[in-house]
Amino acid sequence: MPSYAAPLRDIRFCLNEYLDPARLAALPGCAEMTPDLVDPVLEEAAKLCQEVLFPLNRSGDEEGCTIENGVVRTPSGFREAYAAFRDGGWASLACDPEYGGQGLPKTVALPFEEMMCSANLSFGMYPGLSHGAYSALSKHGTDELKQRYLPKLVSGEWTGTMCLTEPQCGTDLGLIRTRAVPDGDGSYAVTGNKIFISAGEHDLAENIIHLVLARLPDAPAGTRGISLFLVPKFLPMEDGRPGARNAVSCTSIEHKMGIKASATCAMSFDGAKGWLVGRPHKGLSAMFTMMNEARLSVGIQGLGLAEVAYQNAAAYAKDRLQGRALNGAAHPDKPADPIIVHPDVRRMLLSMRAAIEGCRALAMEVAQMQDIARLHPDPAERQAADDHVQLMTPIIKAHLTDVGWEATATGMQVLGGHGYIREWGMEQYVRDARIAQIYEGTNGIQALDLVGRKMPAHGGRHLRRFFHPVLAFIEAHGEDEAMGEFILPLSKAFGRLQQCTAELARRGLSDPFEAGAGATDYLRLFALTALAHAWARMAAIALPRADDAFYKAKLATARFFMARVLPETSSLAAKVMAGGATLREMEEAAF
Amino acid sequence: MASGNGVNPPDAGGATTGAPLVEPELRAVGAPVPKASPPGGAIRKVAVIGAGVMGAGIAAHCANAGVPTVLLDIVPGGAARALAAMAKQDPAPFMHAGAARLVTPGDLATGLPLLADCDWIVEAIVERPDAKRALYAQLDAVRKPGSVVSSNTSTIPLAALLEGASDAFAADFCITHFFNPPRYMRLLELVTGPATRADAAAAVTAFCDRALGKTVIPCKDRPGFIANRIGGMWMQSAINQAQDLRLTIEEADAVMGRPLGIPKTGVFGLLDLVGIDLMPHVAASMKASLPADDAYVLGMRDNPLVARLIAEGRTGRKGGKGGFYTRAKSDTGESLKRAVDLWTGEDRPSETPQLESLSTRDIRALAQHPDRGGRYARAVLLDTLAYAAALVPEVADDIASVDAAMRLGYNWKWGPFELLDRIGPAWFVDALRAEGRAVPPVLETVGDGRFYRVEAGRLQAMGRDGTHRDLPRPEGVLLLADVKRAGQLLAKNGSAALWDIGDGVACLEFTSKMNSMDPDILSMIGKAVSMGKKGAFRALVIHNEGENFSVGANIGLALFAANIAAWGEVESMVEQGQKALRSMRHAPFPVVGAPSGMALGGGCEVLLHCDAVQAHAESYIGLVEVGVGLIPGWGGCMAMLRRWAEAPKLPRGPMPPVAKAFEMISTARVAKSAFEAKEMLLLRPTDGITMNRDRLLAEAKARALAMVEGYAPPEPKAIRLPGPSGKAALALAVQQQVLLGRATPHDVVVCDHLAATLSGGARDHTEETTEDELLRLERQSFMALLRTDGTLARVEHMLATGRPLRN
Repeated sequence: MPSYAAPLRDIRFCLNEYLDPARLAALPGCAEMTPDLVDPVLEEAAKLCQEVLFPLNRSGDEEGCTIENGVVRTPSGFREAYAAFRDGGWASLACDPEYGGQGLPKTVALPFEEMMCSANLSFGMYPGLSHGAYSALSKHGTDELKQRYLPKLVSGEWTGTMCLTEPQCGTDLGLIRTRAVPDGDGSYAVTGNKIFISAGEHDLAENIIHLVLARLPDAPAGTRGISLFLVPKFLPMEDGRPGARNAVSCTSIEHKMGIKASATCAMSFDGAKGWLVGRPHKGLSAMFTMMNEARLSVGIQGLGLAEVAYQNAAAYAKDRLQGRALNGAAHPDKPADPIIVHPDVRRMLLSMRAAIEGCRALAMEVAQMQDIARLHPDPAERQAADDHVQLMTPIIKAHLTDVGWEATATGMQVLGGHGYIREWGMEQYVRDARIAQIYEGTNGIQALDLVGRKMPAHGGRHLRRFFHPVLAFIEAHGEDEAMGEFILPLSKAFGRLQQCTAELARRGLSDPFEAGAGATDYLRLFALTALAHAWARMAAIALPRADDAFYKAKLATARFFMARVLPETSSLAAKVMAGGATLREMEEAAF
Repeated sequence: MASGNGVNPPDAGGATTGAPLVEPELRAVGAPVPKASPPGGAIRKVAVIGAGVMGAGIAAHCANAGVPTVLLDIVPGGAARALAAMAKQDPAPFMHAGAARLVTPGDLATGLPLLADCDWIVEAIVERPDAKRALYAQLDAVRKPGSVVSSNTSTIPLAALLEGASDAFAADFCITHFFNPPRYMRLLELVTGPATRADAAAAVTAFCDRALGKTVIPCKDRPGFIANRIGGMWMQSAINQAQDLRLTIEEADAVMGRPLGIPKTGVFGLLDLVGIDLMPHVAASMKASLPADDAYVLGMRDNPLVARLIAEGRTGRKGGKGGFYTRAKSDTGESLKRAVDLWTGEDRPSETPQLESLSTRDIRALAQHPDRGGRYARAVLLDTLAYAAALVPEVADDIASVDAAMRLGYNWKWGPFELLDRIGPAWFVDALRAEGRAVPPVLETVGDGRFYRVEAGRLQAMGRDGTHRDLPRPEGVLLLADVKRAGQLLAKNGSAALWDIGDGVACLEFTSKMNSMDPDILSMIGKAVSMGKKGAFRALVIHNEGENFSVGANIGLALFAANIAAWGEVESMVEQGQKALRSMRHAPFPVVGAPSGMALGGGCEVLLHCDAVQAHAESYIGLVEVGVGLIPGWGGCMAMLRRWAEAPKLPRGPMPPVAKAFEMISTARVAKSAFEAKEMLLLRPTDGITMNRDRLLAEAKARALAMVEGYAPPEPKAIRLPGPSGKAALALAVQQQVLLGRATPHDVVVCDHLAATLSGGARDHTEETTEDELLRLERQSFMALLRTDGTLARVEHMLATGRPLRN
C-alpha cells in the first residue's frame, strides 16, 4: 500500500527562504502571513490530506462514480470526507472575507492544493472547480448574483462547475452552439449540450452552480460572440435555500483512464434558467481572467502526483532487496542490497526529485506574483508581477504536468513489475497524471500561448520579468567561486534561451507556422532554464548551511540538476533552431 | 480567380483575366509646365483679396515660397487680424517665422494702390458673383497690364464671373481653385476660359507648380470642377446609404475609410472635420448649377438629423460641441467617445464595429460580402464610381486627371479609375447592369481590360478611344516609381533597395514598414558604399516616395532585444549604425539626402551624414530619441556638435555648441518645415529646398551630379568640449526645468546621459575629443539608458500609442 507524508519541510523552505516572506507580509491584508501563523495552517492541512483524503484515494479509484436515473453518486466515504473538508472551513481558505472567506493569499493556499493533489486528486477536483466558479463570479458577476451565490460557494455548501466544452468544440470555443435567449425578466433560457464537465453532477453538496458559455441570439460568429451565464441546479428561493429544480441534468458520465472518482459529466441544458455574468459577447475574456489561476492549479496536479510517486518510489528503492551493488556488496549482512545502491535507480529518483523541488519553487513564486499582482499598492509593481504570471502560466501548466507524467512513469519503473500491478498504487498515479497534460488547454496549446501571445506582447515586456532578473542574478554571482558550478551551466542555458527567443520571434513575425513548429521544444527549453535559475538560487541559500542534512540534500539535487538534467537544453535549442521545414515537407495524404 | 462564396451572381470572373493590376503612383499628372517662364509672365509679387481661411492661407503659402504678398480684406483690419491668427494656428500655414514678414496686410478700401506692381492677383472673397464682379472692376482699374487675375471660387462658372468684364481682363483671367489648407493640400484645379491668354495660364501654372509645389490639374468649367463634384457625390451617397442600410456611423466610417484607401475618418468623421454646416451650402450650389437630372441632384434629400445637429450648433470639431461624434468625460475623468445613432438621433457610447466584411482582403471581396458592411461598400462604390466614370470628358479630358484630383484633393489612396481597376471594371459593369443602371461610355470602352497598365516599363493610361498611352511627366519631374517600373535595380534586401536613376547616379530607397531603420537598411548602406567605391555609380541619392522619409530606428527590435537582455545584440546594432553612416560620409563619392515628410531619429542621423540635402519643403526633421528615453546613437550628437561649432554667429568657446545641441536634443524638437530645419542647423545653409515633391528627386540628382567633379570626402575632425564642468552647467539647467515642473523624473536621467555625452565625458577643453571617442560616448549612454525601466516604458508606450510617455 502506498503512503504519503506532506513535504512540509520543503514547502517551508520555499515559503520562508526561497521566497521572501516579508514581501508577502508587506501586502495589504497579509500582515499576519508570517511563518508562525502559516505553519499551523499547513500542518492542519497536511493532517486532513494524510488522514482523511489519502485513505480514500485507492478505494475511490476502484469504486468510481456511478449514475442512475440522472443521479450521480461519488465513491463510498467521499460524502463524509467532503463534509469534513467543508466543516473544517477548507473551502473558504483563499476566498474574499466579504463573502465569508478567510482571505488567505495564493502563496499559502498553493501548498494546500499540492497536498490535496498528492493525497487524492479526484477528490480535489470538486473544490477546485468550485473555486474556479467562485473566481469568475466574483470578478464578473453583478452584486446581486454575488450576494446570492458567493457565500454558499465560499462555505462549500454549494459547489460549482465550468461548462465550456461541447461535442463539436474543445480547443476551439468559437464553435460553441449552446444558446441563451432572454426571458424578458432579466434571466435567460439556456439550451444546449456540454460534455467533459467535471463535478457537473454529484452527491456532495445540496446545490451545483454551473457557469456556462453560450451564445446570445444576436451574437457575432466565432469567439467574439460568446457570453457567460450562471445556471444553478436548483433555483434559490427568497431565503437562499435551494428551491425548484432547474432544467439542467446529467445524461451520462464518462468512463476514463484515470481520476475515476471525479464525475466527468455530459450535461443537458433544456431551456434552463440562467443569468448573464459579465458583458454580452465578452464571456471568453471573463473566462480568461481566471484561466491563469486554473492553469496554475492544473500544473500543481502534476506536481502533487510527482511528489507522491517519488515518496513511494524512494521508499520502495530503500526497502526492496535485489542483487548487489556494482562495486561490491553494500549490505553484506543482508541477502541482497536494496536497489537504491544502483546508479540507474538513483538517476531515476534524483531526476524525479530535481524536477519536483524545482517546480515547487517555480510555482510558489508564481503564486506570490499572483498575490502581488492583486494586492500591491503600486500599480507598476502590480503590472510587473502580472506580467510574470502571464509569462509563466503556460510554462507552469505544461511543464509541471509533463513532470507529473514523466515522474509517475519513472516511479513505476523504479517499482518494476510491482509498479505495473494495482496493489502498490503506482499505476493509479500514472493514469491520474495523464489527463493534466490534456485538459485546461492541451500542452501544445500552452506552447502556442507562450510563443504566439506572451512572447510578442508589448514588445516582449512579459519576457523582461524573467530575462532581466536571471541576468542580474548571473552578473551578481559571476565572481562567486563557490557558485561557479551552478552559474556556468545556468548562463549557458540562458544564452541558448536568448538566442532561441530572438530567432523564434523573428521567424514568427513573417511565418507563424515557424513559431508553432518550435513552440513545444521552446517551452521546455524555457522551463528548464527557469528551473536552472531556481536551482541556482536554492543552491546559493543552501551553500552556507551545507552541514545540515536538508541543505546538503538540496545541494546534491542542485548539482544533479545542473549536470544531468540541464544539458537537455542543448538538444532542445537545436530542435528549435532547426525550424519547421521537416514538419511541412510530408504531404497530408502520406500520413 | 476570386469567385469564392457563390454569394454574388455578377461575378463572372472575367474581370480578373484582364491586364495585370498595376500600382500607379501618379503623383505627377498635371498640366504641362513650360521650360522657361513666358516673357513678362514671371510672378514675383502676389496679391490675395479676401482674408478668410482660404485667402489668408493662400497668401501665407505664397510667402512660404519667398514671394512678397499683399493680403487685402474688405473688413477694415481683417487682413491684419487674419495674419496674427495664422501665427498661432496648428497646423501652421507658415513654414517659418520669416515668411510671415513677407505678407503685407491691408484694407481693400485703402490698399488698392498696393496691387499696382503685383503679377498675380488671387480673389478669395465671398461666393457671390455680383460681389466678385464688382471687385474685378476695381482691380482692373489699378492692376498692371498683363498681370494675371484668378478666382478661388469653388462653385461659380467662369463665364458668370466675367459678365461685363473688359476683353483685356478676360484675357488675363482664370480660376485657381485651392484646397484647404492651402499649404498642405497639393491639388490646384485650374479653369481657363475661351478668352484666357495661353501665357497667362502658363505663368500661373509654372508658379503654382514650382513655387507653391502644387499639382495643377486643368479642369473644365463645370460646377465643383473635378474633386468636389465627385467628392460631394461620394459623401452624399455615403450618408444616404448608411441610413438606408442601417449602419452605425462607426461601421460606415470603418468601411468607407481604410479598406477603400480613404482616410480613416471615413465620411461622418470627415464631416465633423470640415464642418457639418458646409453640407447644405454645397448641396444648394450644386443643385443651382447642375441639371435637374444629374445623379448628384437626384440623390439629394432633406436630412432631419443633419438639420438638427446644425441647429444645435453641433457642426463638428471646430465648434467645440462635436458633431456626429462627441466626447464626454466619464466619472473617472477619462474621455469617452460617443456617437450619434443615425436612426434615433440619440447619442450613445461609441462602439468598435464588428463586421465580418471588415476583415476581407480586397475591395472586390468587400463589395461582394453579404453583411451590411459589404452591401454598404457596394452601394456607395456603384454610386460614386459610376458617377465619376460618366464625368469623363465632361469635367476633364483624361482619367488620370480625375484620379489625381481625388488623390490630392481628398487624400484618397486611389482615384476612381484606380479603384475600378482594383475591383475589376468588367465585374463593376456587370454589377451596374444587374441593378439596371446605365453604364458610362468609358466603362464600355475598357471592357475586359483595365484603365492603367505597364507597357515596356512605362505606366500607361487608357484614353477615351480605348488605346493606352504613356502618362506624360512634366519636364523636371523624376519619379522613383517610374524608375522602379523600368526595373533598373542594382541591389535589394528586405528593407531597402538600390536603383539606377541614370547619369551614373544611384538612389537608395528604404522599403521597410514606415521606413524604419533596421539592420537590413544599414547593411544596404554598407553595400551601396562598397558598390560606389568600385565605380558602380558616381553619386548617391537617398530618397523614397513613402509618406515619410523615415520614422527612425526600429525601436520595436531594440525593445525586444532589450527585454530579453540581449545587450550584446543591441550594442552591435548601435555600432553597426555608426559604422554604416560613417562609411557613407567618408565614401569617395557625394551622397545627397532627399527627404519628404518625417525624418526622425535615425532617419535624421542619415541626413546629418549626407554631403548635402535637397529637402522637400514639407520635411519634418528632428532628433527625437529623448521622447523614447534614449539619445542619438548613430553619430547624431557628434554631428550636431560639429554643426554648431562651425556656425559663424555663435560665441566662441567650447560651451555654446554643447548648449545649443543639448537644447535641441533634450527637448526632442522637430522642425515643422525644411526652412525651420535650416534654422535649427538640421540642414546646412547651403542645402536646397524643393517646394514640389514630384521635383525632389530630379533636383537632388542634379545637386549630386554637380558635386561629382573634384569631390573629396570630409576629413574626420576632433573637437574641443567642456567636459565635467560643462555637464554640471547643463545639470543645473535641467534642475531648473524640474523646479518649473517641465521635466519629469526620467527626463532628468536621460538629460544626465545626454549632457555627459555632449560635454565630452571625462575630457575637458584642454584636450581634443576625437570622433571615435564621441561615438563611444554615444554608445555608452545609449546602452545605459536602455537598461533603465523608465526608458523601456517609454519605448513600449511609443510603440503602443505613437505618443511619448511622460514618466
